[in-house]
Amino acid sequence: MKTLKEMLAEARQVVPEEGPQQVQRRLAAGEPVVVIDVRDPDEYRDGHLEAATNISRGFLEFRVGTAVTDPSTPIVLYCQTGLRSVLAAKALKELGYATVINLQGGYQKWVQSGLPVVREVPMTADQIQRYSRHFLLPQVGDRGQKKLLRSKVLLIGAGGLGSPIALYLAAAGVGTLGLMDGDVVDLTNLQRQVLHTTADIGKPKVESGARMLKALNPDVNVIPLPMRITADNVMDVIRDYDLIVDGSDNFETRYLVNDACFLAGKTNVHGSIFQFEGMATVFAPNAGPCYRCLYPTPPPPGLVPS
Amino acid sequence: MQATEVVKLLLGIGEPLVGRLLTYDALGMRFREVKLRRDPTCPLCGTSPTIKDLSIHMNGGGACEIATERHREGVAATVGAAPKPGG
Repeated sequence: MKTLKEMLAEARQVVPEEGPQQVQRRLAAGEPVVVIDVRDPDEYRDGHLEAATNISRGFLEFRVGTAVTDPSTPIVLYCQTGLRSVLAAKALKELGYATVINLQGGYQKWVQSGLPVVREVPMTADQIQRYSRHFLLPQVGDRGQKKLLRSKVLLIGAGGLGSPIALYLAAAGVGTLGLMDGDVVDLTNLQRQVLHTTADIGKPKVESGARMLKALNPDVNVIPLPMRITADNVMDVIRDYDLIVDGSDNFETRYLVNDACFLAGKTNVHGSIFQFEGMATVFAPNAGPCYRCLYPTPPPPGLVPS
Repeated sequence: MQATEVVKLLLGIGEPLVGRLLTYDALGMRFREVKLRRDPTCPLCGTSPTIKDLSIHMNGGGACEIATERHREGVAATVGAAPKPGG
């Protein structure tokens, strides 16, 4: 009979191990790795890697097929300290999964390395009903919804573009929405800026916007920022957000948002409209072009009506 | 459209509009997709950038007028997508 020590030593011979930093680099680079937390559900709930799916050790061989559809996809396994998972990894190798990596030191070492973890916040009965249609979409599901609820999006402009975007994102359950606009609601806005109502005329757009969004979905934490975006405040404002949405109505702001997002490494979801035409694109720093690649200079002032 | 892109990016699903410009003509009810490439001469994200901070945006003016000699037409000019002023 083998001792536990021998079994672990045997598993380590066939299972490569990677430290938390190495695994984090893979995830940050967007590599198509599947991360599986093989601990028990209560351990997973107390905190886990954001990318991880929970399949307890006891069910691993039975359920791994649902998490990993292609056996050539690299898999990272972890448990609390890296022992249970190394044995689990050996079992997956024997099932024919080509690359199975054990997270060295497990969850414990990941936390000690100061890397980010998420706590499983159980959804309320209302939330389960509210987002039930999202749960039916395999690309969203329960995990995707929780990710949305943890996400922070900054909307620059609460006007023609910002209004519908804010409403859709609040409805979808994006947890934190920063709403930035220095204007007040004008009667001429109301034919298209659906975030505001007739009773809001004269009030700051972020105030009426925040009220409307909270009424639509009380889950959403709306942060009203009643100011124009400037070179002095932009870096401080965008720092806290995962994603920036540019729904501004002038070129000066667009170049500023573009430059700031590129310098801060933030993705900028860009849109603009004029009369019956509109356009949208995503500026992802270093992954694609920026607004300046598209429009090196703004059109001369006389050419476009404001 | 922008909202859908946000949700996709947050969830890491699908194909985001990175490097693609989607234009919408409501009167003709037509969508058009244009591939966008990075401009190596771009003063911000090109190979030898001249914009390294936001100082060009301070004290007003000039921030938009940074185009270099070669970097003046932009991708949009070649694909015929005029910039839209409104938000």
